[in-house]
Amino acid sequence: MAVELPHLALETLARAEADRSRLTERPLLVVEAGAAPRVHATNRAARRAGARPGMALADALAILDTPELVEHDPQAQTAQIAMLAGVLLQFSDHVHPEPEARRILLEVGRSRRLFGGLATLRERVRETLKGLGFHPRIGVARSPAAARLLATLRNPAIPDDSEALRRTLSPVPLEALPLSAATREGLRAIGLRQLGDLLRLARPELARRHGPELLVLLDRLLGRRTETLPRFDPPPELDLSLRLEHEIHATGALAFPLKRLLRQAEAQLRGLNRSLQGMTLELKHREEHTRITPTRITLERGHPGIRAEDWLPLWQTRLEREALPAPVIGLRLRAARLLDPPAQGASLLAETPGHPPADAQLPAVLARLSARLGEQAIVRLTASGIPRPEAAQDARHDLDAAASPPPPTPAQMICGTALWLEDPQPIPPPLHTHGLGRLEDGWWDRGQDVRRDYAVTRDRQGRRLWLYRCLRSGQWFRQGYWG
Amino acid sequence: MPGIDALLDHPALWRGRSAAPAANAPVWPSGHPALDRALGGGWPRGQLIELLGAPFGCGETRLLVPMLASCGREGYWIALLAPPATPWLPGWQPLGIPQERVLLIRTEHARDTLWAGEQCLRDPAFGVLLAWLGGPVETALLRRLRLAAAESQACAILYRPPRAAEQPSPAHQRLRWQPATDGLELHCLKGIGDWARSDQTLHIPVP
Repeated sequence: MAVELPHLALETLARAEADRSRLTERPLLVVEAGAAPRVHATNRAARRAGARPGMALADALAILDTPELVEHDPQAQTAQIAMLAGVLLQFSDHVHPEPEARRILLEVGRSRRLFGGLATLRERVRETLKGLGFHPRIGVARSPAAARLLATLRNPAIPDDSEALRRTLSPVPLEALPLSAATREGLRAIGLRQLGDLLRLARPELARRHGPELLVLLDRLLGRRTETLPRFDPPPELDLSLRLEHEIHATGALAFPLKRLLRQAEAQLRGLNRSLQGMTLELKHREEHTRITPTRITLERGHPGIRAEDWLPLWQTRLEREALPAPVIGLRLRAARLLDPPAQGASLLAETPGHPPADAQLPAVLARLSARLGEQAIVRLTASGIPRPEAAQDARHDLDAAASPPPPTPAQMICGTALWLEDPQPIPPPLHTHGLGRLEDGWWDRGQDVRRDYAVTRDRQGRRLWLYRCLRSGQWFRQGYWG
Repeated sequence: MPGIDALLDHPALWRGRSAAPAANAPVWPSGHPALDRALGGGWPRGQLIELLGAPFGCGETRLLVPMLASCGREGYWIALLAPPATPWLPGWQPLGIPQERVLLIRTEHARDTLWAGEQCLRDPAFGVLLAWLGGPVETALLRRLRLAAAESQACAILYRPPRAAEQPSPAHQRLRWQPATDGLELHCLKGIGDWARSDQTLHIPVP
């Protein structure tokens, strides 16, 4: 299957551009820079005025009334082709992008049963690309060369066997074939007009007169000679963007385009056989708000998964907390770190109740909690190695599984097994105390070394308080509660 | 009357006044024989229990240490929702509670606390949930929490101020605690089993 994108330059522009009228109302030329600038693509208004791709820029400027000029960016186009090749990986494992020809080839022979026939598959490819804002020409044939030809000619036939392929290709004019000018001229001179005429001639004669390249081309067209196309190796990261048709003012309405992006991400990751644990969403705002940087939101999850149905509710709860500084016109979903898919199914609550969870895994619910309450709300305390109790614990908010923390230091053991900790509060000297131990830390510790005697006492309400006396000042402080 | 006896033994029949907890219901051991007897084996899993009392820090957390330790030993997670102070985990570790299984969730409103509690209960990874509620809460949210607890394998404990006893609550059990010499006095306000009917006060020594 050959997927050709004849309007790629304009479509790439349209996806990046917020203002659609700019692209349609006035003549627009995409110009290839160079010694003699040429027109690479034109919009409909420019075509109506007579500008054609391939014209010299000077000629186009002569017939057009102040057209808008945009420089052709081959790199952006190659990137778009690579992105689309990644998307098309869901239909076939063998995808071959041809960026110069703005074309992507897919080996679909093995996918036809899975997708219910070639016609259905072609429609799905078309729908997928249309959903992304591209309008492809698709040709399906037994050989890549014939598929390319059918795509260029917008021929909807799906020739299934070699005889049908021959029939379909016979009326093709010879001008459509990728032949050298000399060969084309020579064929025209002996009165050949269509491919069918060529196929009827004796092969040795053709080879003798026009060289072996013509035979190679014919064999490739008919699938008699295989063409080796390297497989597309997708980049190891996820980067999908979407331009919205309408502005979105409320976060709730973002769910629909986001769902589309997540579906795409799922399809692409399924093609790559990779998974992911976190992703970043960028919300692009309208042009007049260029002062406002894109809103960037990152979402992390306890364990990897790609299903759009799992990610969407998380994003929804997360976006509920967000206020939009300006209307949103574009979305971009990125994930730099892709993981190997988990061995088991990627379902959210896969574990059956009654079995304790796996050691290394964090509860799946944490992602939902941190999406709604904020990342700061989920705290896991780990030892920091500082003996002073108020600094002994570090709060971690990330959802990565942590190694088991070190056991308490001897100094901490002496300080006792209180359960709750507070910032030290000065209190009047207590009456009866039960001493625990002394804590001293080094003079090198940021110049605020402490010497404390820890103790437990009981207050009037019957609470057991965790106290210490600062040996420098003699002042008593409350450190926490015993339980 | 053999017919009625057979009927009364039927497991689907629930008898309001005398229903005792099922003998094989999953529990976390409470560590105190008297309390184990009163609760019907231990702190029940799959129930919402309110502990009413004040002030914070009298030993009402220490009361649950045996439960937390056995929960952590079996590899379940412990969720602390909106506690009034920071847990001092180097102190929890020597009591047998693995630090890496303790999760602290800070919320700003009681509504968020109850929502987070419900979400945690719906995750099978959690074995014990401790939540602190300072003010009055909507009964509808408590009922949601009760439903989530009933479907879970976790024991959900709600710490509430003593004045909450004036309002009815959908919790499975409600216990009121008061600090006493060397321990806590527990009084059952609502529950199933003999303890709720007997109106007895249990004295639990808390180390």
